[in-house]
Amino acid sequence: MAYSIDFSDIWPRLPYLLGGAWLSLQIAFLAFCGGMVIGLFGAMAQAFGGPWVRRPVDAYVSLFTNTPQLVQIYFIFFALPDWGVLLSPYHAVLIGMTLNAGAYLTQIQRAGFASVHRPEIEAAETLGFSKLQSVRYVILPHIMRTLFPPLSNLYILMTLGTSMAAVFGVEELTGRAFNVNSETFRSIEVFSLTAVVYILITFVATFLLAGAGRKLFRARMNVF
Amino acid sequence: MLQQLFDAAPRFFSYYNILFLLQALVATFLLSLVGCVLGFLLGFVLAVTRRTTGWRMAPLRALVVTYTEAFRRIPFLVTLMLVFFAFQAARLDTSVFVVALCSVCLIATAFIAEIVRSGLDSVHRNQWDAATAMNLSYLQTLRYVVVPQAWKVMLPPAFSFFVLFIKDTALASQIGVIELTFAGKVMANKGFPAALTFGTVLVLYFALSWPLARFGRWMEARLAPARAR
Repeated sequence: MAYSIDFSDIWPRLPYLLGGAWLSLQIAFLAFCGGMVIGLFGAMAQAFGGPWVRRPVDAYVSLFTNTPQLVQIYFIFFALPDWGVLLSPYHAVLIGMTLNAGAYLTQIQRAGFASVHRPEIEAAETLGFSKLQSVRYVILPHIMRTLFPPLSNLYILMTLGTSMAAVFGVEELTGRAFNVNSETFRSIEVFSLTAVVYILITFVATFLLAGAGRKLFRARMNVF
Repeated sequence: MLQQLFDAAPRFFSYYNILFLLQALVATFLLSLVGCVLGFLLGFVLAVTRRTTGWRMAPLRALVVTYTEAFRRIPFLVTLMLVFFAFQAARLDTSVFVVALCSVCLIATAFIAEIVRSGLDSVHRNQWDAATAMNLSYLQTLRYVVVPQAWKVMLPPAFSFFVLFIKDTALASQIGVIELTFAGKVMANKGFPAALTFGTVLVLYFALSWPLARFGRWMEARLAPARAR
């Protein structure tokens, strides 16, 4: 007997899935913001710091960008309790994703910092700007234009990365899809609907980010 | 707590456990490598299709655009599940490794098609026009004019996508492919401390990915066009 596609059990559960999508977006947003802060300080440390500041940051970046996010969260979730750090699945995922995003964002922002011309930073110094001021008023406005496309790209990838949380039992979009799957056994229907929801939410994010990038930073962004 | 790790270490690093972990490492590497090589070939075909002109190819072009835009926006875990259950529904009796390989291939095709497309776009318009003026066909243009210039632009990002995907294949452990993360889970279930097993797994991933990432950066610097150097 061939498998017959039947969505009738799935449609009533669509709002439940969409609730999960909202949680996915929240996780991605929080992890991205946290990662942005880590990344900014990491890039600043690599641009201005001495070797004893740069080396730990380099180690952090290459450690987190060369190992899978899933195993990092496994480590946080299963190994840290041995040292007395007990985290809920949600928090373990959030911390793991933030640290992982921080490493990638350090890399991206370092490349941005390197693209600023030396005389501009010297000019800021001549005007008596402190390091923080020159980052805030000279470097950031300058590099956001070139940095915005890779940043929004990473944000989309991170939204997809939140599906990993399902492995730890967090009920975001994929987690809820697993729940619906075990209730209805309509596997192909559930997961194709989930895929469509992911496509839609990332498309919306892409369009919004491209609009924001063009308006705020005059970034050149093509959606297609 | 560290004492616990030291106590478990001799039992953990026994000959067969090390063999098991190394085999799992090879599986991880092959999953990503084979998937990305197939993905490169298919992605190349897709990108070439997308650059065609003329109304006869229009439905194919629409198909290619839909495919690349959709599959770059589906999480790997969801693709895995879809392929897994689709194989099940089609009554195909294959190993989970093949299922994971197909999912890697699906995703890699979509991403690499975009990389190849930007590589083809990087060749200046005048070159395309000149080839047309010389009465080269589309395939001849690609073969003799565009690809010899564009492969330098396509190869580094395609390679770094491959290195990136080594880490994403960790999710294949969810459908039971015996790769590195799965091996780590097996070891943790056998009662070894989680810090030891997952620490080892992290180190092995690092040992695989870091040299490849370094090589990728070296290749990128090496292949960069003279004006960008």
